[in-house]
Amino acid sequence: MGSPFDINGGACVAMVGKDCVAIACDLRLGMQALTISNNFPKIFNYAPSTYLGLTGLATDVNTVSDLFRYKVNMYRLREERHIAPQTLANLVSSSLYEKRFGPFFVSPVIAGINQTTGKPFICGFDSIGCIDFAKDFIVSGTASEQLFGTCEGLWEPDLSPEDLFETISQALLAAVDRDALSGWGAHVYIIEKDKVTQRLLKGRED
Amino acid sequence: MADRYSFSLTTFSPSGKLVQIEYALNAVNQGVTALGIKATNGIVLATEKKSSSPLIDPPSLSKISLITPDIGMVYAGMGPDYRVLVDKARKVSHTGYKRVYNEYPPTRILVQDVARVVQEATQSGGVRPYGVSLLIAGWDEGIEPESEEATKGLSEEKTPSKTGGIHKGGPSLYQVDPSGSYYPWKATAIGKHATSAKTFLEKRYTEGLELEDAIHIALLTLKETIEGEMNGDTIEIGIVGPPADHLLGYEGVEGAQGPRFRKLTKEQIEDYLTNL
Amino acid sequence: MDKLVAQYSRPQHQNESYSEQEQQDLTESLPPLSLKFSLPPVDNRASFLRAMTDDHSNPSCPIKLAHGTTTLAFRFQGGIIVCTDSRATAGNWIASQTVKKVIPVSRLSRGEDKPSNDPTPGLLGTMAGGAADCQYWLRYLSQQCTLHEIRHKRRITVAAASKILANLTYAYKGYGLSMGTMLCGVTPQEGPALYYIDSDGTRLPGNLFCVGSGQTFAYGVLDSNYRYDLSVEEALALGRRAILAAMHRDAYSGGFINLYHVKEEGWVHHGFDDMNPIFWKTKLEQGEFSNVTSEL
Repeated sequence: MGSPFDINGGACVAMVGKDCVAIACDLRLGMQALTISNNFPKIFNYAPSTYLGLTGLATDVNTVSDLFRYKVNMYRLREERHIAPQTLANLVSSSLYEKRFGPFFVSPVIAGINQTTGKPFICGFDSIGCIDFAKDFIVSGTASEQLFGTCEGLWEPDLSPEDLFETISQALLAAVDRDALSGWGAHVYIIEKDKVTQRLLKGRED
Repeated sequence: MADRYSFSLTTFSPSGKLVQIEYALNAVNQGVTALGIKATNGIVLATEKKSSSPLIDPPSLSKISLITPDIGMVYAGMGPDYRVLVDKARKVSHTGYKRVYNEYPPTRILVQDVARVVQEATQSGGVRPYGVSLLIAGWDEGIEPESEEATKGLSEEKTPSKTGGIHKGGPSLYQVDPSGSYYPWKATAIGKHATSAKTFLEKRYTEGLELEDAIHIALLTLKETIEGEMNGDTIEIGIVGPPADHLLGYEGVEGAQGPRFRKLTKEQIEDYLTNL
Repeated sequence: MDKLVAQYSRPQHQNESYSEQEQQDLTESLPPLSLKFSLPPVDNRASFLRAMTDDHSNPSCPIKLAHGTTTLAFRFQGGIIVCTDSRATAGNWIASQTVKKVIPVSRLSRGEDKPSNDPTPGLLGTMAGGAADCQYWLRYLSQQCTLHEIRHKRRITVAAASKILANLTYAYKGYGLSMGTMLCGVTPQEGPALYYIDSDGTRLPGNLFCVGSGQTFAYGVLDSNYRYDLSVEEALALGRRAILAAMHRDAYSGGFINLYHVKEEGWVHHGFDDMNPIFWKTKLEQGEFSNVTSEL
């Protein structure tokens, strides 16, 4: 069997725009070559403008998303406030490093807007919690190499929410069309200061 | 050893009281008075440094401690117990928060963490309650964006929008007792002369107090209760105020902010005393 | 004297003719191919090559071959339907979505591969496994079929053609060849004939075959809807639908649906069409593929 990261397949990408961020994922869940589900979203919401994307081993995607649901709920009850994207990033990092010698096989991506500063924020991680802060875009999953190519080609600074949606959608769809283990539809979130738009993309079904 | 006495020493009396906690409070009420006053732009913590012998070297004695760069603490009661709690508070602020979120805990979170440590001593096997009450003062940055009205109001009418707490940000002052209970205060005192000091504070405290006024009132209150001479060696003052960038030890790093909590030097205290 | 010598000696040019050995080499229908490839200089070539190329038993094998595919062919009253996907993968990377996996075999079928209603004479072979192996050996087979036609003045039977290929793959058994192919043709002697040949040396005649990583999905559709007396239109639709199912569920199949109909006069191409519009049309009009979400 191959790498645990390549068993179920899946792709995720986050991008920064002008006063907005976007995060998108594909919907495939597979077991090697066999596609099991076309409705397995990999983006999870933890606060009004804070989103976490998880690609990798599907069982760990479920476990890790539930673990952070618990941790963030506890944070909100204790502190009586929503978690900021930066704080979630540090929480994800320290939680993943806790499993340094038996990691979760996931590559997380965070996208959100900090409600205090109003500034967009994205970052990515390796499976043991090293944070990759980026000003432009973050990619993860089995189509990450393709996503690097499409994002380098399509992304530009200060995109409006509408243009950012177009850019991230094209980047994701073009990338997953060259990956056997990703695709079968996609979810896209466009996050503005006080508005979040979610859309379904109907991609190729092969 | 541990298994032989691993029952809680704090047990209910038939009337429903935990007398061990009451005894601990008695220890606090014999302790040297400490007080705290919250101002609009900061907090002052003050206490008397009482030495049992004229031979003691005063500068080595310290009763007010920094816990995080923006949070400080003072006590009334048993000094050794306090130092244990300072260590535990500093440790929990890192293990329970900074190492998880890469930021320091808000004041209320730290107070809750310290209060948990204190409470556990009332219910655990083989330990006695802590013989101290604490005053914890801290500043929170707050998470609400500064609204245009608030910034305009601040510059024109000097009405502060930060009145404390995690949301708005600003100063908060808490008391933690041996039972593990904690209370937020505008101004309070603990220790031997707490009652008279609080009566005095009730008279002198006004809303919209500035930090400088609060330091002044703190010294006046101490003067009412102090037993010995009042000077820079016998008085200890800690303040939570504007960021003290000069204490960073470096400069020119963008985004770096100095600690808001700092202790006043002997000279600074004496300056305040001469203006009293 | 000189005259005598000239009379009894052979003229110079007579030496330019072919020797007996050379003549035999030229007419040998199956040249000793094993001598024409450079092989690894080790004692046991077969086990060495197997270790190098079999990524099932050794996932880190240095020579990776493309495997993902779905191809199918079935016999019915109107001839044979041949249908394939068009995806080529290298690991998870989709190297191409426009591979032609149906390869015309025999001399007369050579020429433009353009859609046309006129049947093109000849056999069809399908390609699954190593693309290079399939292309090379089907071209070799084509050569042999043409030679057969020239020598015997009649077209080769599918049985004979498939045996040439099977003997070949058997000769190279264990050397790491990777191919699973179906040979289809309609001849006066046999009628519609369909053979499955693979790199293990297997050669099977049959009514219905699916080959490749998506074969199970195609079999699922085919088995539940196949009848020998299918009309041509029904048969074409069934072939297309079976490949569509495989493309949908199998990650290593996809791209375009390549559809052929083989008849007595030859084969007819019925399109090389993107699967995606066909998929959504099938889903929305026939109500199939209800597993696919189309609304948020």
